[in-house]
Amino acid sequence: MADTLTVRQSGHATVQDLGRPGRSRYGLPVNGALDQYSARVANALCGNDDTDPLIEITALDFSCTPSTDVLVAVTGAPADLTVDGIPQPQWEPLAVRGGQTLAVRGIRLGLRVYLAVYGSVHAESLLGSCAPDTILGFGRFLRPGDDLALGAQCPPIGHPEFRHPLFRIRPPRPRFGESWTIDVTDGPDIAEFGDSAGRLLSSAYVVTPSSNHIGLRMSGPVPQRVASGEVLSRGVPVGAVEVPAGDQLLVLHRGRGVTAGYPVLAVVTSTSLSPLGQARPGHTIRFRHRTVAEAVAAHRTERAVIRSVRHRAAAVLQSLDLPVLTRR
Amino acid sequence: MAEGALIADCGDSAIVVKALDGDAEHRWRVVHSLADAIEDAGLAGVHGVVPTYDSLLVEFDPGLTDHEAVRRMVRRAAGAQPGSGRRPAPKRFVVPVVYGGEHGPDLPEVARQLGITEREVVEIHSGAVLTVRCLGAPVGAPMMDGPPFPRPVPRLASPRTSVPPGSIAVAGRQAVICPLRSPGGWPLLGRTPLRILDLGSEQLTPYQPGDEFRFVPIEPGQWDDYAGSALAAGHG
Repeated sequence: MADTLTVRQSGHATVQDLGRPGRSRYGLPVNGALDQYSARVANALCGNDDTDPLIEITALDFSCTPSTDVLVAVTGAPADLTVDGIPQPQWEPLAVRGGQTLAVRGIRLGLRVYLAVYGSVHAESLLGSCAPDTILGFGRFLRPGDDLALGAQCPPIGHPEFRHPLFRIRPPRPRFGESWTIDVTDGPDIAEFGDSAGRLLSSAYVVTPSSNHIGLRMSGPVPQRVASGEVLSRGVPVGAVEVPAGDQLLVLHRGRGVTAGYPVLAVVTSTSLSPLGQARPGHTIRFRHRTVAEAVAAHRTERAVIRSVRHRAAAVLQSLDLPVLTRR
Repeated sequence: MAEGALIADCGDSAIVVKALDGDAEHRWRVVHSLADAIEDAGLAGVHGVVPTYDSLLVEFDPGLTDHEAVRRMVRRAAGAQPGSGRRPAPKRFVVPVVYGGEHGPDLPEVARQLGITEREVVEIHSGAVLTVRCLGAPVGAPMMDGPPFPRPVPRLASPRTSVPPGSIAVAGRQAVICPLRSPGGWPLLGRTPLRILDLGSEQLTPYQPGDEFRFVPIEPGQWDDYAGSALAAGHG
């Protein structure tokens, strides 16, 4: 029988990847990991491709047991990470022996934790991605007893006597907390809000419970559209800050429908989508203005950081005679 | 094109192009031809185009290209032959609809807001051939020109959290079929028993922009005659 990762406590976890791009013309949202920085780093630490399937654990405790020795990396929100009850570090590769239980408990100061496995896990794919799409009804939450097939064998790694951390790759860890600063650029329809547009940057907003991977609803002083007239549906980007009728902001995330009829006041920068994906109901959001040039620079810096993590991790894996399995 | 369209940044990973010249039909042709040209150009880093009625969103990875390169490509594509390009002959779809009642809970309110009777709403909605302008939210939905109601239809003050699959909705000057269960803020006039999407096919939808829909009223008792059948092009 193939080697597997057996889910014990499933919480609220799914197999996930970076999403299903290139199909927005056909009305398909991109979906994928809500905190793409943490997801990419988890895979990079394991020598995987950025786009390889990994496990996204949302809010609730999760545990699993590999049938053979594996190398994993756990990133995302702070949590109590243990292997057979012994605390282990997040944001570093971690060797787990076959039969041991890896547990992620007490997720806090954020919402989502990412668990990548060297060689990845097998996942059913739709149109080139395993990312769940709740509207299409594709993908599902993991259940206790699920066996995820492992993509590669991994020889045992680790000192037989000592529990020193084996790896010190030290990728930059984002700041987690209960209040978040989210960068935005001006939206294409900012002029429709007149002077009230400035409220977005001067106010604090609270994430409401009716928030999910499609969008976050936030309460607070809402800018008011001064222009009138009907808006024909048009394409809206992930990160669009919209003001529907009512007293809440709607900030679209990766599950967003590709078209909408509301004016776009601002757009969350691509690097800020990751912290936004960690914000819980009750957390506070403050928006900070960035120019498009500043946002692009931040995006490129973040990608360079991920490349550097990948190179360092690959060097370590190769020194252990572990083939780095990236396809590209 | 330089005068005929507005190009604006839409965050760090997209630009939006809005066609301004000509009538609605021309603007629609322009944005869809541009989308075709951009896909054909295959610029590295560009991963999505969303042409709708008079607007085009171009999505890209700013680590692989940049706003100026994408703008240049759009201007070049627009300079070629705006509004021309491949458009296959339209397919025609006939969609049976149970109007009103539990399937179209907003029919009375829409009639009241338009100042006409429910019967007139149904007659106008089912009396026109509606052209699909784009595939949109929630997923692959055929977004059409609205039927010739006397004025735009307001959206619901409080969107529904769950709209049943096959629901027939209108808003503003637009019309749509909701293919799958999803949240929605458009008033519902009725519901079709047909299956709209083919989840097993690569294209998902049997229709594409430019195709034409006609809605035909059926009685609630006829629902089961159509239930489970797939939407398919016909000769209606």
